[in-house]
Amino acid sequence: MKQLKLNYLFIAALFATVLASCHKDKLVNNQPTPTAQRAGVYVLDQGVNGPNSALTYYDYTTKVLTPDIFSAVNGRGLGNTANDAEIYGSKMYIVVDKSGTVEVINAKTAKSIKSVPFQNLDQTSEEPRDIAFYNGNAFVTMYNGNVAVMDTTTFAVSKNIPVGNDPEQLVVANGKLYVANSGGLNYPDVDSTVSVINLASLTVTKTINVGADPYAISTDGNGHVFVTAYGVYPTSNSTLTVIDDASDAVTSKTDFTGGPFAYNGSTAYYIDFDFSVKAYNTKTLTAGTTNFITDGTTFTAAFAIAADPLTGEVFVTDAIDYTSNGLLYAFDKTGKKEYSLTTGINPGNIIFVNK
Amino acid sequence: MALFVLFGLICPAKVFAQTDTAKKLKEVKISSGAVPQIQTATPSQSVTSADFTKYSAFTVADAIRNFAGVNIQDYGGIGGLQTVSVRSLGADNVSVFYNDVALNDTQNGEIDLSKFNLNNIAKITLYNAQPPDILQTAKAYASASVLSIETVRPQLTAQKPFKITAGIIGGSFGLVNPYLQWQQRISKYWSFIANGYDENANGRYKYKDVGDGADTAAIRRNTDVHTREADGELYWAKSDSNKFNLQFNYYNSNRGLPSAVIFGAAPTTQRLYNTDYIIQSGYKHIADNSFQLLINTKLSQSFERYTDTGGVYNSSGMIEENYKQREFYQSAAVAYKILPKWEVSYSSDFDISSLQSDVYDYAFPTRFSFFNVLATDLYLGKWRLQANVLNTYIDDKVKTGTAATSKSAYTPAFIATYHPTALPGLELRAYYKSTFRNPTFSEQYYYAISPRPLKPEYTSQYDLGAAYTKTTTGFLDYITLSADAYYNNIKNKIIYIPTRSPETPSVVNLGKVDIRGLDVVIKSQFKTFYNWKGILSANYTYQNALDITNPANSFYLEQIEYTPKNTLALNAGLTHQHFGIYYNEIFASHRYDESDNVPQYELPAYTVSDASAVYNFKLSSLPATASLEVNNLFNKNYTIIYAYPMPGRSFRLNFQITI
Repeated sequence: MKQLKLNYLFIAALFATVLASCHKDKLVNNQPTPTAQRAGVYVLDQGVNGPNSALTYYDYTTKVLTPDIFSAVNGRGLGNTANDAEIYGSKMYIVVDKSGTVEVINAKTAKSIKSVPFQNLDQTSEEPRDIAFYNGNAFVTMYNGNVAVMDTTTFAVSKNIPVGNDPEQLVVANGKLYVANSGGLNYPDVDSTVSVINLASLTVTKTINVGADPYAISTDGNGHVFVTAYGVYPTSNSTLTVIDDASDAVTSKTDFTGGPFAYNGSTAYYIDFDFSVKAYNTKTLTAGTTNFITDGTTFTAAFAIAADPLTGEVFVTDAIDYTSNGLLYAFDKTGKKEYSLTTGINPGNIIFVNK
Repeated sequence: MALFVLFGLICPAKVFAQTDTAKKLKEVKISSGAVPQIQTATPSQSVTSADFTKYSAFTVADAIRNFAGVNIQDYGGIGGLQTVSVRSLGADNVSVFYNDVALNDTQNGEIDLSKFNLNNIAKITLYNAQPPDILQTAKAYASASVLSIETVRPQLTAQKPFKITAGIIGGSFGLVNPYLQWQQRISKYWSFIANGYDENANGRYKYKDVGDGADTAAIRRNTDVHTREADGELYWAKSDSNKFNLQFNYYNSNRGLPSAVIFGAAPTTQRLYNTDYIIQSGYKHIADNSFQLLINTKLSQSFERYTDTGGVYNSSGMIEENYKQREFYQSAAVAYKILPKWEVSYSSDFDISSLQSDVYDYAFPTRFSFFNVLATDLYLGKWRLQANVLNTYIDDKVKTGTAATSKSAYTPAFIATYHPTALPGLELRAYYKSTFRNPTFSEQYYYAISPRPLKPEYTSQYDLGAAYTKTTTGFLDYITLSADAYYNNIKNKIIYIPTRSPETPSVVNLGKVDIRGLDVVIKSQFKTFYNWKGILSANYTYQNALDITNPANSFYLEQIEYTPKNTLALNAGLTHQHFGIYYNEIFASHRYDESDNVPQYELPAYTVSDASAVYNFKLSSLPATASLEVNNLFNKNYTIIYAYPMPGRSFRLNFQITI
């Protein structure tokens, strides 16, 4: 028994050390940001090798870092491979791929409201991947080739809209829903299309050809839909396709060595393949050439990016070796590091939460 | 290499000077044959078939899990994969020998120890560094430690030229495992043995899913096992110094692969099918002039099929991967005693392994491996000094893509033991060994979208220890005690990284690990008291295995994953004539399932107990044995691998008859 108690003491000490070290980190180069409006920032950690996804929370006011607020509040883990999280209204929706669930939580407290299953009859996962919202409905891409339409009050799924193979991200632009069909599980025979869904009729009205194996899709809210695609080595390169959301015509398709976009006005920040951070100009449709990071900070494996339009800050996560805890870096608008924090494994999404 | 030559040049003079004393210093006299031999060149631990019941063991991994320094990765259940890591160097750095020939898995590098049924196994020995005899295959020198599995050899007389053993094991998990062994003496020089078994189990068990906060018991599924094995060995032995064996082994299994438990989600539908054939032969000759020759040859083929049929969203709705490995292996070793107390040897092994697979853009690699070893073994007064240097040369050829560059390395080992005159029964020992591990086919070529510039992994081991045996006329028959402290390190540890895009995993040389540890082994046997006899053994392992890859990492100087700092294994037994009962207990301190030593990734310490009872009797004048084994006696919830819950209490009954 003594042994056990000693262990607990040791764990407690370790925990305190972890917290303390983060705190210390925070004090280095501390800036007068962030603004009063933000309560804090969530980082969604995908985890690795099993059900160890986590939701890390950093409170701006108390400066307390909670390694996994989901399990701390709800007494259970998020599950296996949490792939996306978005806040809509007062709720946050966490899409957990291998578990086959969308966890609905209170965006401020992380308290579970509902765990919505997306599973086949035999309880295998339909593999929900990404979520978007429109007029009280949530739209969830499923690797089984559908976009599920879920009511955000009752959480009832009213419809499954068939799209292409292994759809990844989706986005609402100009009253339409754009879905990136990756076909990634048929590698190397991948898909290279975007399905356009009419949000009134909930049917696919158009299929647009983009680069091979598209995975990220986003909008600048100013007439453009941007699609990044992996390509298939060595036959095709990774690409960026720009779609005009009025005509759904492809404005341009170019080779592109960057990842998903994080917008602040007409600037879209992205992680380049060399792990530098570049800025894409959404007005001139030109990729950046210089590193946004100006203080020499480098990443081992830059993984996710987010921009906070309220403060001009840019947040970048580092997955390090993809099997250990990652890091969240905050940079001011001039590209100088403000602080860094420890996240969980494979920190794939950064979500700001207001007070 | 230079050191080795130097050693050879300096030593002969000293040998002459010390020969006389060496002759007087015979081995320590031990009254009972049952006393474990622990005064070996490098630390070694063994179990024989008589011990398997004591440990309630069903697989090779179960039988050796009490060994000091051993860390079994057990995924749970009856068909669950089991690999062994020795002194925190990882499963890839342990080579498994089957009747003195290395089993080879060029694809994965790790041998699944759950596939060996104990029915046909006579002895299992773990050698740190390498076996002590220098007349060995070169591969015996090539890994950080050697797990040697020896099968049963016929020991028959002309009066009773045959022996047939039939038995059946049944119990929890729906296990039904009949087995049969036939030993036959053909002539004065020839004999054979044939074995077969069939094992079927649904493998299901209840577990408590504490990890996800649910408190209800769930049932582990997709755990079924269907295995059959047949093997035959033909022996020719003119004498102990002139013998030959030929053996054939067939193994076939079809099993579910239960994956990590995910709360509320279905069990996975992954399956693994294996069919392996091995033909190997060995010839050993010791000439009158002390010249010794050892020839080993092996042909093997292993076929592996992996399928996943549930919730796979590709165009075929399933994943199927097929792999066929083929190997030809030839080894020759010669040894010669230059002086009565000084033996030198040279071993040369050649291995061709190829892998065919239907996975995307596969390289179809063929690997040519050459292992050449010079070794020396010298008794010098109270000292025994061994040294060897191994050259490994590896060259890959591929059908598509780019082959890895050929690699060559010299890795030495130095072993010294000392028996002080003042304290008979005591041995002091030390060794240094360096090894070289080339990337496996999986690491080098699996979904290698672009050629992977991997370097080999290097390990270094330093060991300092003592072994002491005391036989008494008091209440103890004997007590043996050994303690070895060691320092190991791994350079260029090869790490598999699942990247964001599932189709392009990555493998890099990333890790550096620094390991400090202590192995303590105590064995004792009590004097017979009114026909009661007691045995007691305890093994303790301390491992401080720290990641020293990069000071910038959050896990720098933290314990590597799945490695308990403290492990204690206890075994106690009581026998009364034909009856014996045994109790086994293993304690492992807390571990982390990821590189970061933070509470989120902590796996709690556990203690697991097993018990068994065995009764030997006559059934219509035929020797028969009945035994009952209970694993996890106190029905504890525990996990060794995160999200792979171990079974609660389970039972096995074994009935065996010998004709």
